[in-house]
Amino acid sequence: MNTPPLELWHILLPVGLGLVAIYWMLPGSRRMPPVLGGLLGAVALLAAGRFLVRFEVVTVELVLFYIFSGLALLAAGLMITQRNPVHAALSFAVVVLSTCGLFLLQAAPFLMAATIIVYAGAIIVTFLFVIMLAQQSGIDSADARSREPFLSSLAGFVLLGSLIYVLQINYNTKQFDDVSARLHRALQADTAEGMKNALEEGYEPGNNFFKALRRVEVEQSAGEPVLLGKKIEISDYEQPWLFAEADGDTKTMRQVLEHLAATVQAAREMTGSRQPLPQLRMSSFAGQASNELLPPDNLGRPQLPAANVAGLGRTLFSDYLVAVELAATLLLVAVIGAIVISFRRAEAQR
Amino acid sequence: MSPLTALQNYLVVGALLFALGLIGFLTRRNLIIMFLSAEMMLQGVALNLVAFARFRGNLHGQVFVLFMLTVAACEAAIALALFLVLYQRRHTLDVSEWQDLREPGLDPTIDEEPLPAPPPEEPMPKLTPAGREPEKVGAKSDVSGS
Repeated sequence: MNTPPLELWHILLPVGLGLVAIYWMLPGSRRMPPVLGGLLGAVALLAAGRFLVRFEVVTVELVLFYIFSGLALLAAGLMITQRNPVHAALSFAVVVLSTCGLFLLQAAPFLMAATIIVYAGAIIVTFLFVIMLAQQSGIDSADARSREPFLSSLAGFVLLGSLIYVLQINYNTKQFDDVSARLHRALQADTAEGMKNALEEGYEPGNNFFKALRRVEVEQSAGEPVLLGKKIEISDYEQPWLFAEADGDTKTMRQVLEHLAATVQAAREMTGSRQPLPQLRMSSFAGQASNELLPPDNLGRPQLPAANVAGLGRTLFSDYLVAVELAATLLLVAVIGAIVISFRRAEAQR
Repeated sequence: MSPLTALQNYLVVGALLFALGLIGFLTRRNLIIMFLSAEMMLQGVALNLVAFARFRGNLHGQVFVLFMLTVAACEAAIALALFLVLYQRRHTLDVSEWQDLREPGLDPTIDEEPLPAPPPEEPMPKLTPAGREPEKVGAKSDVSGS
């Protein structure tokens, strides 16, 4: 792999701080003052927001993303460290509401509404009913202790660290960003000589821009990584470039570079993704089939079906019909099961 | 944010929610909080699926989340009925009470330190009796007037 090394401490800092914070805040006999643990948790969250979240331009979506995910993670940390189960249930309600906000940002309004109704409306209320029936005193003596706090926090954060590491390796776009930066600089140059220098700056002689472009890695495969040269026909750009450069025709050179920049940007979006084979026949009831490429919207994203509920309905009752029927049967069985479990006790007690 | 960057950000949040839910499930002793942590793991996975649905431009991820919601609801119904039954047997929601259900050959988990004393029950309030005293037999004839 000739990808440049990742900044490991970008991952280790928030994960390590979070580990210490959660370990301190979990209920136990030798508890640190909760203010210290809370401060450290806040610092860990800020470090995660600074180092693990990437963005190019500050948009409204980014600000809302920060708000919702920060609230969700704060409430999640609170939920697992609260002693009183009622407080934990309320923190979980905040987690659910924040996750629904994130669903809305991802163009899933029906899921947002359904999750709020089912989770925050039904499941959490049922939890509170059970707490009311079972643990009226609020805090039980067993709530003030944890089982193996250090080992479980370590396990959880090691898992988290490895997940984030794998994500960063898979979606590593450093080579693409380098190529895009060079193209950008070249487009700002005025002369043909300036453009060529901007493109080839820093390369060894003989290792020119298009050769490096061919070697950009698009997918990390089990054996050999898939290179950009296989996915795009680079010579479509290289030939006109070389002809125009020989003529000194800056206008054509600029056009070629702009076209190449757009193609490179589109290819960057496919980094780390597996596409199904193009010859598979996949249904389009749920929006575009996964192996088709429809033109993206003006923000560069693929277009989802505009009417979310209608699209979900259409795909549920065509692609997923059997699954819908099975889910209905499962709900029926679960209701009957819940009644049977609680009813038998009442009979046996008589 | 470009679609790929947005996808990565949402996947990181999903992983964080999952890891926190995992820690809560392994650590806490109260059945309710254990179950809430399991539900939080499901929320993290749901976020992952919805992010991929947005990235790909189709609704398959959202349909998956819809079915996950159904299964979570069924799971909650049966689990809570079970918790109530378990409470009626041992009068506590502590999961360590049920260590007899472990696999044969495993040692039970013993608390290294004893649990704290349960919080003292507040005494029932003492109210002054209201209304007239009942008449005592034979006593009223001794005292005259008063």
